[in-house]
Amino acid sequence: MQMSNKVKVIPCSGIGKVFGLVAREAALKTVVELCPEKAETVCLAYIVTGDEEVKAKMKDSGCITVDGCPKMCASKNVSLAGGIVVDEIKVLDTVKDHKGKKFGSPTELSDDGYLVVEEIAARIETRINEIA
Amino acid sequence: MAILKVGILSCSGEECLGGTISRLATRKVLEEMKMVDTVTLCLPLYNAGGKEERNFASVFPTISVDGCDKLCAKRSTEKYSGRINGSIDVSKIIGNENALNTKIIRNNDLKEEHYRMVDEVAGEIVKAISDLEPNSYAGKTFRGCGCGD
Ligand code: SF4
Ligand code: SF4
Repeated sequence: MQMSNKVKVIPCSGIGKVFGLVAREAALKTVVELCPEKAETVCLAYIVTGDEEVKAKMKDSGCITVDGCPKMCASKNVSLAGGIVVDEIKVLDTVKDHKGKKFGSPTELSDDGYLVVEEIAARIETRINEIA
Repeated sequence: MAILKVGILSCSGEECLGGTISRLATRKVLEEMKMVDTVTLCLPLYNAGGKEERNFASVFPTISVDGCDKLCAKRSTEKYSGRINGSIDVSKIIGNENALNTKIIRNNDLKEEHYRMVDEVAGEIVKAISDLEPNSYAGKTFRGCGCGD
């Protein structure tokens, strides 16, 4: 099996919070649109299964995790699976600068929600370019 | 009358369209289902969580919703809670070719045809809920983080 040495960008995709969706959309913007040659994602739920295929994929991989709340599920699960977390992005750090805005729902983001997505994705892109 | 509460755990996979559909169909049922109270938990929180989170599926009758036949949500639930009351494999409903599409994953990339898939999968989740044994959801409480409460 050929292993990719792309940076893994892994969001929590939390289903109950709007910031879980922000994390997901930001990570996906990075891997689909901004840096598809240097970065990819791996399903977080697959990572935790511990299947041999995904274990091999994660082993010694540089990962950027994106989490929607202080529980930091993506970061914790990636570390448990043997990935090397080179940066932990916290959606709340970016949201602080947008006080009073409405970001949408865990189902669909508003325009302000997508603004935060853009900012976080740009930050992830910068990190990827530094390390890859 | 006892409140009927059902847990739905979606894989929300990030690599393919099936994961996105699993997430959106689950959200649709959580938001729109009126007959039964539905509740969810972020799957990664469940996986990384403590005893209380992992108790989720023993407290609520739980249905897993997975984007592809790797069935990550189903397997995690069985691993930590020991049982699952129903499971949905999105790829069986929308076809493997659609489920494993790695180009269309973001909400903004979805077209009408994809929202029809969401509706179809949500319909299957509702069917799975209506197949549950009625005595499986009476009078139970759960104090773990519902991630969104
Ligand atoms: S970090 Fe928070 S929002 Fe994300 S999956 Fe965990 S509990 Fe949910
Ligand atoms: S079931 Fe498939 S789509 Fe869902 S997390 Fe697992 S590998 Fe990803």
